[in-house]
Amino acid sequence: MKPLASAKELTQLRDKIQAKLAKQEKKIQVKVHLGTCGISSGANSVLQAFKQGIKTNKLSDASVLKAACIGLCDREPVVTIEHPKTGKTTYYDVTKDKVSKIIQKHLIGNKVVDEWKLDTTDPLLKLQEIRVMHNQDLDPMNIDEYIARDGYQGLAKALTQMKPDDVIAEIGKAGLRGRGGAGFPTGTKWTFVRNAVGDEKYVVCNGDEGDPGAYMNRAVLEGNPHSIIEGMAIGAYAIGNVRQGYAYVRAEYPLAMETLNHAITKAREYGLLGKNILGTGFEFDLDIFPGAGAFVCGEETALLTSIEGKRGNPRQRPPFPANKGLFDKPTTLNNVETWSNVPQIIWKGADWFGSVGTTSSKGTKTLCLVGKVNNTGLVEVPLGTPLGKIVFDIGGGIPKGKQFKAVQIGGPSGGVIPIANLNTPVDYEAVTALGAIMGSGGLVVMDEDSCMVDVAKFFLQFTRDESCGKCTPCRAGIPKMLAFLTKITEGKATMEDLGTLSELADMVCQASICGLGQTAPNPVLTTLRHFKEEYEAHIIDKKCPAVVCSSLFKAPCSGTCPVGLDAPGYIAFIKQNKFDEACRVIMQRLPLPLSVGRVCPHPCEKKCRRQQVEEPISIRHLHRFAADYAFEHGFEYKPEIKERKNERIAIIGAGPAGLSAAWDLTHAGYQITIFEALPVAGGMLAVGIPEYRLPKNLLKKEIDIIQKLGVEIKLNSRVDDIEALLKDNKYQAVFIATGAHKGDKMKIPGEDLAGVFDAIEFLRELNLGKKIKVGQKVAVIGGGNSAIDAARVALREGAKEVHILYRREKKDMPALPDEIVAADEEGIQIHCLTAPTKILGNNGTVTGLECIRMELKEFDTSGRRTPNPIEGSEYRLSFDTVIEATGQRPDTSFLGGDGIGTGKGGTIVADPRTLATNRQGVFAGGDVVSGPATVIEAIAAGQRAASSIKRFLRGEPLSPLVERNGYKPIDVPPIPPTEEELKERPRVPMKEVSTPDRKDSFKEVALSYSPTEAKKEGSRCLRCDLEVGE
Amino acid sequence: MKQLKKPTTTKLRTEKQLSSKTLRQIRKIVEATDGRAGAPIRVLQQVQGLVGYLPPEVLKTVSKEMGIPLAELYGITSFYSFFSLVPKGKYVLQVCMGTSCYVKGAERIMKTLKNDYNLEAGGITSDRKFSLEQVRCLGCCGLSPVMAIKENVYRKVKPSQIKDIMTSYK
Repeated sequence: MKPLASAKELTQLRDKIQAKLAKQEKKIQVKVHLGTCGISSGANSVLQAFKQGIKTNKLSDASVLKAACIGLCDREPVVTIEHPKTGKTTYYDVTKDKVSKIIQKHLIGNKVVDEWKLDTTDPLLKLQEIRVMHNQDLDPMNIDEYIARDGYQGLAKALTQMKPDDVIAEIGKAGLRGRGGAGFPTGTKWTFVRNAVGDEKYVVCNGDEGDPGAYMNRAVLEGNPHSIIEGMAIGAYAIGNVRQGYAYVRAEYPLAMETLNHAITKAREYGLLGKNILGTGFEFDLDIFPGAGAFVCGEETALLTSIEGKRGNPRQRPPFPANKGLFDKPTTLNNVETWSNVPQIIWKGADWFGSVGTTSSKGTKTLCLVGKVNNTGLVEVPLGTPLGKIVFDIGGGIPKGKQFKAVQIGGPSGGVIPIANLNTPVDYEAVTALGAIMGSGGLVVMDEDSCMVDVAKFFLQFTRDESCGKCTPCRAGIPKMLAFLTKITEGKATMEDLGTLSELADMVCQASICGLGQTAPNPVLTTLRHFKEEYEAHIIDKKCPAVVCSSLFKAPCSGTCPVGLDAPGYIAFIKQNKFDEACRVIMQRLPLPLSVGRVCPHPCEKKCRRQQVEEPISIRHLHRFAADYAFEHGFEYKPEIKERKNERIAIIGAGPAGLSAAWDLTHAGYQITIFEALPVAGGMLAVGIPEYRLPKNLLKKEIDIIQKLGVEIKLNSRVDDIEALLKDNKYQAVFIATGAHKGDKMKIPGEDLAGVFDAIEFLRELNLGKKIKVGQKVAVIGGGNSAIDAARVALREGAKEVHILYRREKKDMPALPDEIVAADEEGIQIHCLTAPTKILGNNGTVTGLECIRMELKEFDTSGRRTPNPIEGSEYRLSFDTVIEATGQRPDTSFLGGDGIGTGKGGTIVADPRTLATNRQGVFAGGDVVSGPATVIEAIAAGQRAASSIKRFLRGEPLSPLVERNGYKPIDVPPIPPTEEELKERPRVPMKEVSTPDRKDSFKEVALSYSPTEAKKEGSRCLRCDLEVGE
Repeated sequence: MKQLKKPTTTKLRTEKQLSSKTLRQIRKIVEATDGRAGAPIRVLQQVQGLVGYLPPEVLKTVSKEMGIPLAELYGITSFYSFFSLVPKGKYVLQVCMGTSCYVKGAERIMKTLKNDYNLEAGGITSDRKFSLEQVRCLGCCGLSPVMAIKENVYRKVKPSQIKDIMTSYK
């Protein structure tokens, strides 16, 4: 190849290659994408398979080509087929076995294999704007293909039609900002270097992409190397007096190094690097410097020192590299992606570049979307794209139905952005305002299973290891900070330590000499800012809410359970046929084993480690089995109450919170009286949950046991005067646990019509045996458990048709998934994205609903999209009964003038950790304090109250740590699972009454395990309690 | 990375004479790199590629050939994680500890290697077949957790697969 002697020759060459490619396009082209991810997923063998298959089938008009990474790392190997008859098709997860079918059906049969093809309307592709990665369907090892795409035209234009100042002005006008981290305007940086005095200057490319969780530069180096070379040549021309450039590429990227090296050799051959480029007399050459593995070398002065062949210690600034850089000469250092953007800005103009992005952050940004997200990989989006759109639309949301928690952006120098900020546009200013930095664009998604303190610790371990040691704040400050974090994760820290940690963080930020130290505390500072409650949980409650910090829990299931129920313990007993012992383990912690085994939302199962093998074990079903079996076979729970005390405690409300407080206090020997306004005990378990989910005779058995222990329950006894209870020392302490029994109204017209109920009232009246006339066609409004309960009850009360109307999507319904499935099975129709605007009536009676369709818009602070009415979409439906199930709240009107503080939604204000109210000796907990929550949380609140009351009566200070009821823990056999038990197998399903049988009956739907089934399911337990406890 | 480089089960080899062949090759590397920016790092990378690691006798030779004090070379080799002063196993097993791998459970891989092979970061198996490096992001975050042996990157590694992977290396 003779070097190109002019811009004209370049254009001629381009046209020639384009013509050749156009001919090729008439034939079948198989392009195998060969990035590092593709190769490690077997792309090379796919390439070979295609070559072989095409040869065997004698397909003379098909060619197999190599292409760059398209960013779908999770779906590699990826193959694009360009076929004259079917157009362009992209296949993912291609294996050798799939190749022969693709050849037969698609290449020969002209039919796309639809089931393996990537849907081009998928938001993953549709919402992207591919610019930097525009060469991804071309062979990066072939310079011709780059030239065919107007490659090096930007350089030719700059050299022949523009003065250096014009080039800088164009870059400035485009508003290009540094893509490596801080977002400094590139045009300004170049001006500084151009204006610096010196007849020898350098341009340097920073390819030391060291942020864990970021590899977009690798993709550009591997996929579009000529864009970097061209960009650097343009920069060299614009700055002037530059004859040599360096590309610093990290040692961990061998393929990137090879590709860039090849590209440089080719560019020299074509006369696009070297002396007299394109015959213009302009001279510039480029050399690669292989990094040797030091994160700090991503910092500009450290990188330059490293190129000089020394330890990569950063230098004090000023002087800035613009004046004294590489070998003390004026130097501009830009990131890979920044350089890669330059040619297109010059060729297509600043206006084209600014056509996407925001006013201050123009163009696109490549991002690495990794971590707990369905579509992991490399994406390129316009700057300013909302974070939620990136995670949920492009990223496809969180795997396994888990809850999104935060995004870590900008690597160890960046920070976390929490769920409340999903609408944040990803641009330089907005991200910085939240305490993070854009960094090079690593976006690590974290879900409910990530502990934010542990995340901060992870990053500090990283920066501690990577600190060069030159300045003391960084070298000594980071390990000190890490020591505090370790103390926190071990539950040994105090709140004072947290203050010291913040101070230390500020000091390290301010006093370190380079970017590494200055930003190292960011992960700590942002987690402290957005997740302070997680730090407090570790410090005050000695709990890790995400159950990650292993010093703070025995097993993930019991660590998650609000009452710390020892699931591995009772499961171990089930496996040994010791069903009574299993039940005893449960009853040591709570008085309602039969009920909880039926209606608990089992947060434990979400954390079960068995899901790493296949799926979580059925912890709740096993709990229920143990309780059912023991109670059916004459099990008697007889605790030994050591001493009877004289102090008397009044508990208001006989729901799960009240009963569990009574249980713990009576075990400790106190005299308990429970006042219950309703004619039955059990609270929501008695009057909220329908019979088919929880048979009332079972609840009665549990309450009988509580009464047998000496707890007095006064039914039909509404308390109106708290002070009267405390007067004359009648009771020494009071616990208010009256729940949340008042249904919310939607405040729409027609709520006073006959035939309109609120779900809480509806369920309560029916549970108390009262008659309610349910019509033929029933509408239930809402998506929670009460809505499903009301709907299923209405069906059993004789309704012919039951409809649930919910304003969001089905996946957003707060009801338990099992319950939603059951409602579906029973023929209840669920209408989503719809909301009633008016209840219609005639002569004072309901005749129907006027509804409006909803659409989901921005994210709310809980991470769900806000439903907004679609104007003009109103429609009407006829109903004769309407049940509102849109919320419930406590009724605290009984407090009257007692002076006990109330707060939002009618709740009582109590310290969340000690449950103390503003009146000494009066405690409150459960739904009346928290608002509607789960039965297991109510039980936990009861225990917390009991613990505080015991301390109060002993005259001790209250403490956030719950004092258990003083029983000697039962020794659980420490038998680890066998090899056989570790083998993959699904959970044992629980039998249910068939649908036709259950619709008219209130008989319990779910049937208990048999002992054989229970033992089989129990043998799936991994006994994490043994592992972690060691 | 620095503190990870301390060997747990091996000691520095006692110094010995380099073969004349190695010496010749080192000289050639030094000559070829003469005048290029960052020569010491480039030379050390290539010499390590040749010898496998950088024992004292090799560093001394490079120091003499390049005219750079040994202390300076030692400073460089101990600074960059790419360089190793101790021999490595026949296969170097790299476990990525990047953020994405960490979130997806790289710790469990490390734990399995510790429990089943008594292999810790910076250590080597008793048969010298595998040494273990905890490495910073390998840039395969889309496939995490990731582990690499030679050029082979293993994607989405589960602890249960480690035995099969390790026995596939003879």
